Formats: sequence, C-alpha cells, structure tokens
Amino acid sequence: MAKNVLVVDDSSSVRQVVGIALKSAGYDVIEACDGKDALGKLTGQKVHLIISDVNMPNMDGITFVKEVKKLASYKFTPIIMLTTESQESKKAEGQAAGAKAWVVKPFQPAQMLAAVSKLILP
Amino acid sequence: MSINLDQALQTFIVEAHELLQVMEQSLLQLETEPADQDAIGAIFRAAHTIKGSAGLFGLNPVVSFTHIVEDVLDRLRDGSVAVDSRLIAVLLKCGDHMLELINVVASRGEPLQPAALEREAALREALSTYQAPHHTPDTGAQHTEAGAADRANAPAEVLWHISLRFGVDVFRNGMDPLSFLRYLETLGQITQVTTLTDSIPALDSWDPESCYLGFEIELRSTASHATLNEVFDFVRDDCDVHIDAIDEASDSAVSIGSELVAQAEQGPLTASVQRLPAASEPKTRDGNYVRVNADKLDELINLVGELVIASAGASLLARSCNNDPLQEATSTVSGLVEEILDGALHLRMIPIGDTFNRFRRVVRDISQELGKDIELTISGAETELDKTVVEKIGDPLMHLLRNAMDHGIESADARRAAGKAGKGHLSLNAYHDSGSIVIEIADDGNGLNRERILEKAQERGLVASGAVLSDQEIYNLIFEPGFSTAEAVTNLSGRGVGMDVVKRNITLLRGTVDLDSRPGQGTVVRIRLPLTLAIINGFLVGIDTSTYVIPLDMVQECIELDEHQRQSSREKGYLDLRGEVLPLVDLREHFSHEGSAGRRQNVVVVRYAEHKAGLVVDDLLGEFQTVIKPLGKLFGALRGISGSTILGSGAVALILDVPALLNQIVQLEARTPQAPYSPTVVAR
Repeated sequence: MAKNVLVVDDSSSVRQVVGIALKSAGYDVIEACDGKDALGKLTGQKVHLIISDVNMPNMDGITFVKEVKKLASYKFTPIIMLTTESQESKKAEGQAAGAKAWVVKPFQPAQMLAAVSKLILP
Repeated sequence: MSINLDQALQTFIVEAHELLQVMEQSLLQLETEPADQDAIGAIFRAAHTIKGSAGLFGLNPVVSFTHIVEDVLDRLRDGSVAVDSRLIAVLLKCGDHMLELINVVASRGEPLQPAALEREAALREALSTYQAPHHTPDTGAQHTEAGAADRANAPAEVLWHISLRFGVDVFRNGMDPLSFLRYLETLGQITQVTTLTDSIPALDSWDPESCYLGFEIELRSTASHATLNEVFDFVRDDCDVHIDAIDEASDSAVSIGSELVAQAEQGPLTASVQRLPAASEPKTRDGNYVRVNADKLDELINLVGELVIASAGASLLARSCNNDPLQEATSTVSGLVEEILDGALHLRMIPIGDTFNRFRRVVRDISQELGKDIELTISGAETELDKTVVEKIGDPLMHLLRNAMDHGIESADARRAAGKAGKGHLSLNAYHDSGSIVIEIADDGNGLNRERILEKAQERGLVASGAVLSDQEIYNLIFEPGFSTAEAVTNLSGRGVGMDVVKRNITLLRGTVDLDSRPGQGTVVRIRLPLTLAIINGFLVGIDTSTYVIPLDMVQECIELDEHQRQSSREKGYLDLRGEVLPLVDLREHFSHEGSAGRRQNVVVVRYAEHKAGLVVDDLLGEFQTVIKPLGKLFGALRGISGSTILGSGAVALILDVPALLNQIVQLEARTPQAPYSPTVVAR
C-alpha cells in the first residue's frame, strides 16, 4: 500500500503542486489547510510523513510540530518543514521542535520529491 | 521530471486573488484599528503565501516585488515600523500592483507594460523608506538547485567512500537510516555496504528506540561531493558523515571532505522569533472545499435540466398508459430529479459578501477623493446568490454607490447645517424576500429632488403634462432611458453612464430596481434579483395551440372571465377585481394570434414588485418546472419574451417576460397624447 503523506499548507496551490509531485512518484497525499485541521487528520489513518508550512492561520507550523511530537503513534514520523530563505530562525525553531527536515520555498517539484524520498519510500 | 502544473497555476491565480482581497480588507481594518495584531498577521500571511506560491511557478516578477512588500510587513509585525495612513495607502497600492502582476504575468504570461513598471518603481521607492537600513536586496528566487549545477559540471564517474555514524536520536527525529541508503542508490550504484554494529550495547542497557548503527559505503556515482553531502542535510545533527573520493588507480583514499560536516551550519537556536498570533479569523479557506471549474458545473446543471424535461416526458407518458405502478415509479423519479436539481443549483450559489467587501475600498477611496467622511455598513454578506448574478451585479452596484456618495451624501458642512452628523452613512444590505434576493443601497444624504425630476420628465415627454404621479413613480423615472442625468437634476448626475444602464444590466439578470427617497433623509435603492438564472417554476397557459410560461412567483391568482365580463373589459381595458382596478393585457391580441378566442377565457393575475395586471389567456395548464433556454441572437430584440423551454411533450413554449410586458404597456399609455396619463399599472 502506498505511503500516506500529509501536506499542511494554507495555500491550496502549494498543496496542489506538492500533491501532483508526490502522487506522480506513487505516494498517497492527504491535505490539510492549517495545524488544527492537520491534527484532526492524523487520527483514524496512518500518516507516514508530514510536510508542513510554518506560517498558517489557526495553528502555525511550529506549534503543530510540537503537538505531533506529543502523540505516541507519531513518535517516529518524519516531518518536513517548508521554510523560506528569510526565515532561518523559523527553521531552527522547527528543528528544535522536532522537524529535522526542511524544504526551502520556492521549490521545484523535483526538489520536494528528493527531500521526501530521503525519508520514506512510496 | 515533467509535471504539468497548469491546473495548479489556475488554483494559484484564484488563491492569489482571494489573498489580495484578504490583504485589502485587513489593511482597511488596520486603518481603523492600527493596533490590530490579527490584521497585521493576516496581511503578512497573504503576502508571504503569494510570494511562496509564485516561486513554485517561477513567476519571478511577482516574487521579487512581493518580497519587498513582505519585508516591510515583517518589520510592521515586529514593531519596527509603525502603522500610519501613508503606509496603509502605499500598501493598498502594492496590493493593486500585485493583482496586476498576477493578472498579467501569471494569467496571461506576458511581461508588464512600461506604465506598470513605472508604478512598480515608484512603489519600490516608497517601500524602501520602511525597509531595514542594511537591507540586502533578495529576489527570493535565485537559489536554483546548486546540486543540479554541480552534477552538470561533474560528469565523470567517481568511486566514493562514505562513512556514516548515526546518532542515538535519529529514529526519534523521524529519520530512517535505511531510507538515506536507498536515496543514495538513486544517485549512483552502491557497490558495497558494511554495517557497523560495534556500538550496540549489552542487552540490559539497550534502548529499542535508539539507533546504534554505522555504515561504510562505497558508491560509484557521477554526483559531486556537494550533492552527496546534501543528502545528509536532514540528519546533520544526528550523524557523523565523511565523504571521500577513492582514487581507484592508486587505491588510496584522497580526502576531499575530511572535515566533520556535523553541526556545520545551523544558525543560533536562540534567535528570538515572533510568533504569529493564532488568528481567530473566520475560516475562509477550508480543506473541505473542492474547487470546481464553473463550466463543469454549468454543464452539469444543463444536463440536470434536460433530465427534468425527460422525466416530465416520462411522467406524461406514464399517465397516458394508465398503468399505476408505472406512474408511481415515474413520480418517484420526478421527486428525486427535483432534489438533484435543487442540489445542483445550490452548487452555483456563492455568498454576496466578497463583492460587498470589495466596496469598502471603493468607498474609502472615493470619500477621500471627494473630501467627505463616509462610513460603509455591510449586512447580509452571507446571503447566497447565483454565481453569474454575483459577478454581474458588481458594476451596477458600483455605479449606485458612486452616485450615492457623489450626489446623495452632502459635504460635512452642509450636513451639519441640516442638523445631521458630519459623517455620512452608506449601507449595503442583502436579504431573501419571497423567492428573490433583495440588495439595498441606502444613504442618509439629501434625497432626490421630486419637483426637478418631474419637470425634467415632462420636458422630455416621458410623462404627459398634468399627469398625477405618486412619489414612487416619479423617483423611478430616473431609470428611464432618455432621462438626461447631466445638468438638470444636479443631485443625481452620473459619470457618463446613466441610471438607465444600471437598470438595463439588472433587467438582463431578470431583476428589477426601484428607489425610495425622503427629502433630507436619504435614498434607498432596492435591487430585486432571482435566486437562480437557470430554472424557474413556471405556470403554463395556452392561447390557441401555443403554450406560454409565466414565472410562477409572479402569479397571484387566476380568474375565469365570463361572457359578460369579457365584453365590458374589452371595451374598458380593465377589470373590477374586488373593487380594485386591474388593467388587462390580452395576450392573444398582444402576440397577434389569429383566430378568435374560445368560449372560455381566463385571467392570470400577475404581480411584479409594485405592479399588478391581468393577462387574458385561453387555457390554464398548471405548474411546470421550467428549464430556461436562452433565445437565439436573432430573437434578442424581442420584448416581452425572456426565453424558451421544452415541454415534456417535446413542444417549445415561450417564457413571458412579465416585467417587460408591463413596462411596455405603461410606456405605450404614457406616450399616447390623447389619453391623459392614467396609471395603467396600479400600485398595490
């Protein structure tokens, strides 16, 4: 069965681009529009990898990562942060929270795929 | 890799429009409440998201301009720049420019016009005063893949030796050492892997969640050292990596990157980061929405329309077969089809709120331009309307708002002299009213000048002199074509577009507009629109062998005309309906049907807005769900007919345009000089 990737971003075009790229490589994609929405999508199905933006309404990415790390069943789930080059401090904060991987926006779909495939196989 | 992003680009364009609207709303909000952190957060996020997404599509002009805007917004957010009206004005213009960039660069794929580039330069100049002093210009798009470039420069295949020592926390950080090895395989051929198990502790101190493994790997690859090094970016904290090229000839390892790459680059973790306020903003974009192309929806609704017709045909056949089970089955199908139809139509409904909110900016700009202090109140923003109606109602609303601000609301001095507050009020309101939607535009200005309108109308021959008209009828004269709004009626002159154009646009949407005004207290313009454009509940009537459809929501009652009444009503042109004068329109005569009327005739009493009239027909054929098919171009100029439909039997029926029909008769009467204006149409 294909692995589930949860894509959390308030921009639907980003979700769509990531979704197209990942699906083309054989991953299954679940979308969420902010941290709160994403937490809801973690229950009831197994998510194998999380890709999350930092700046989002309702619950930002850093808080979301901290919440994920509290969940026993997602202890070992890799998390990729979407950062921008002007947000070095956010990257560090994300890593401290437990999101060790990152992709810098704007990215090419191929870059995203490379990052994902370092962490899990489809 | 070629991935088709066209569809995603469309999503981006729609999304960017929404974000820019959010940005504008929040800026206006910030203008009234400069300390609103939620608004600042929302503005920043909008610019930030647009920049990020634009980068995905390589829209560099958008990225580079938005980057500067974002930069200023970031400083606004951390408090190093204060909110003032000049900054808001600049940022509003930046929003406009971003919109233009997206429309030109993203939608049409063209470069900007020189004039727009000039505007951009001016905005960049204005923004630069808000930027940090040691700002390094950053286009935000220049980090192309360094790895790709390396790969291009290093075509020769090299045998690499990679020493990996994973840290104990690597699993807990969500990293799987195996997946890194698999990823290496995509870069070349792994010729040898040795797993090092030396650091595995004794069983009693062994933590199953910890990693104790190391690997020695030999990889044959054309990838460069930097590319290989990049592979381990994510585990840099938890891993020691040594990457060396093996000189195969001498078989001695030449150390290129012998330095430990661990902990090489991380920025200081202590950097203070301001958290975005977890905004309590309404959920505008929820993950539960699916974007659907409007054309697909139209296609669906059209098909459902055909289904309705087909199901009506089946019901008709079933009835003629006299087969009870069959009739039951078709009636179940009809019920379901009707539900599908309701559901499908509902898909096209969108709230009017977005259109309303756009006017906040318009009101702000125009009131500044006019030097008046005007406040806009919006209510009923959640009222849903057909998408086409929402799109097309924008222009007429804009025109009415401009008029109200320009000529309705007086200057502050004049207002105070009249004993009113200096600040003018405009309100936009939308609500449901008996099967249609009403949009109200109200101002608390000076009202219309009744005498001057009447004078003007008589001068133009729109009204016979000496006619007695109600206030309502006089005010509505300003919507008449040919009613010059230019000089005479100073408080309602338009900007080159008359009110008749407003009315025409609304009529095209099968809506009506009327107006109420009180001297010194203000004016209310009411626009009445249908809920949907695609389907109406119709009432079928027959004349000779032809069938016509009257929109059911306009039908009030039906009366049988007996022989005696027919005689007298034909002479007088009206009917005594329980003491009320009901003007009659003989459709047989109106549409020039040949042959004489049958023995029995009926009157269908129709009401539209304030007007009531009786339509004389031969037969009453009952209710019918009518799917409107527009008339071809050839028949576009026909008045009194708004479209056609296909009946269950396959025959075509014309749909009556009741408002136009009534209007036509009113005008005919008013222009007949012999007959002094007698209100053909009676106010309720």
